[in-house]
Amino acid sequence: METRFRSLLPTMTVAEAVLAFENASRTLGRRVFGMMVIDEDGELVGMISMYDILVLMRPKHIHIWGEMKDIDVTGFIRQNLQRAKQIQVGDLMSTDIITITPETHLLSIVDIMLRKHVRRLPVLDRGKVVGIVHISNVFFYLMEQLLH
Amino acid sequence: MTRSDGTNVLSDIKVREAMRKIPVYLSPDSQIELAVRCAVKFKINAVLIIGQGFEAVGVISKTDLMYAYYAGLPISAPVAVVMRSPPLFCRLDDSLDRALDVMRESKVSRLYVLGNAPGQAVGVLSYPDIVGLLYRYCHKCEFNTLRSKRQDRTSPVPDIFKVCEVMGPVSLSFRAEDSLLTVMEGMSASGEAALILDENGLPVGVVSKTDLILAYRHGVPTTAQARAVMSSPVRSCDKDETLVNAIQKMIFSDLHRFFVCRGNPENIVGVISLADAARVRSGSCRACMPSRITL
Repeated sequence: METRFRSLLPTMTVAEAVLAFENASRTLGRRVFGMMVIDEDGELVGMISMYDILVLMRPKHIHIWGEMKDIDVTGFIRQNLQRAKQIQVGDLMSTDIITITPETHLLSIVDIMLRKHVRRLPVLDRGKVVGIVHISNVFFYLMEQLLH
Repeated sequence: MTRSDGTNVLSDIKVREAMRKIPVYLSPDSQIELAVRCAVKFKINAVLIIGQGFEAVGVISKTDLMYAYYAGLPISAPVAVVMRSPPLFCRLDDSLDRALDVMRESKVSRLYVLGNAPGQAVGVLSYPDIVGLLYRYCHKCEFNTLRSKRQDRTSPVPDIFKVCEVMGPVSLSFRAEDSLLTVMEGMSASGEAALILDENGLPVGVVSKTDLILAYRHGVPTTAQARAVMSSPVRSCDKDETLVNAIQKMIFSDLHRFFVCRGNPENIVGVISLADAARVRSGSCRACMPSRITL
C-alpha cells in the first residue's frame, strides 16, 4: 500500500481536481489517474477518476452528432470545458467504494480488483484512511516475486 | 413519406433501432442525492429504479427531483418516496409509430424497453434518439427535396430553414431576486425545463432544472434568490439565423434549448429546443411531413 497520497475535497471544482491530479503526478513521480475524496472531517466520501471526468466531457447530444454529418462541431471541446469547470467533485465522484484494511490478503486484493474492475482500493484502519493500493503496486510486487 | 398502404417511415423502424442502453440505474432505497448525481454526471433527464429481481419498478426524473427539493425533503431520503411507478414500457420489436403513440397519449418523453426477462428493461427510448435516427433516414432518402435541388450532390446540404420557422413562444420570465421556490412554482405551472430571469426588464440569466437539482445537492436553501444558481448570460440566437447555426450553437453549449432574440440579445421573442430543431431538419423532405414526429 502507498501511504503517501493526495486527496480531494468534495466541494472542489473539476478544474481544481484536474490541477490536483497534475500536482500529485509531479509529486509522486507517476501518473495519477484517480484520487480519494475525503471531507473536512477526514471521512472517505468517494473516489474520482479520469473516467468520471471524461463522462462529464461527453456531449449530452452525442447520439445526434453521429447523424448530423453536415454540422461542423469544431470548437466544441473548448466550450464544454468551460461548462465543466463549474461542476464540483462531489457531483461526479463514485460513492459505492470498496475498501480494504491493512490486514487484507494480497490475493484477496487481486480478486477484488479483477471481479469489480477497480484499479485502486483505499485502505481503512478503524474507519480512517491510512493508504491506497493501486493495481500497479500489486502487479509489480507479484511480478518481482515471479522474476526472482 | 406516407406510402400507398397507409404506413409511413416510422412504421418500418423498430424500437430496437432507435433505443439507447440505460447508463445507470438505482434501487428504491438509494438516496435522492445519488439520483441527482447520476442525472448530472450522465446528463440524463431520468434515472430508472430497479427492484431486487432487476425488474424496473419506477422512474425518477429531474422534475421529480425538483419537486423533492420544493417539498423540503431531505436529500438523504430514499428515491422510493418520490419516484413514479410503474415505468411506461414498449417492446424491442414495436414500431416507432406505436411507441410514439404511447408517449403522446401518456404525455411522457421516454419509454423503457422490455427485454425477454419479465419486467426487465434493456433500453430506453426518448425523442432525441428517434430524431437522430430519422435525420439519417431522411438524408439518405432519394426523395429528399434538398438533395434533388443540389447540382453537386457531394456538397453540404444547404439550410433553408430559419429559427423563426421552428421556435415556440417564450414562457414567463421571473425576476433574479425571486426565490427558488417561486421559480420552481413557475416551472411547474408552465411545464418548461428552463426559465429566464430578468432584472430591470432585461434578461440576465437562465435557471434550468439541472441548476435547481444541483442547488438541492449543494444545500442551497429554497428561499435563496434565483440569481444564486442561474447561468449567465442568457444563451440566445437570432430569429433570422439559419436553423443549422442554431443547432450548432446548442450542441456547442451542451444545452437542450436556446432563447430566441430579435435584433439584440436583450429582446427575447421565443424559445427553440434542439429536439424541435433536429425534428424539422430530419423532415427536410417536404413530402415527408406525415412522418414527422408530432410531440
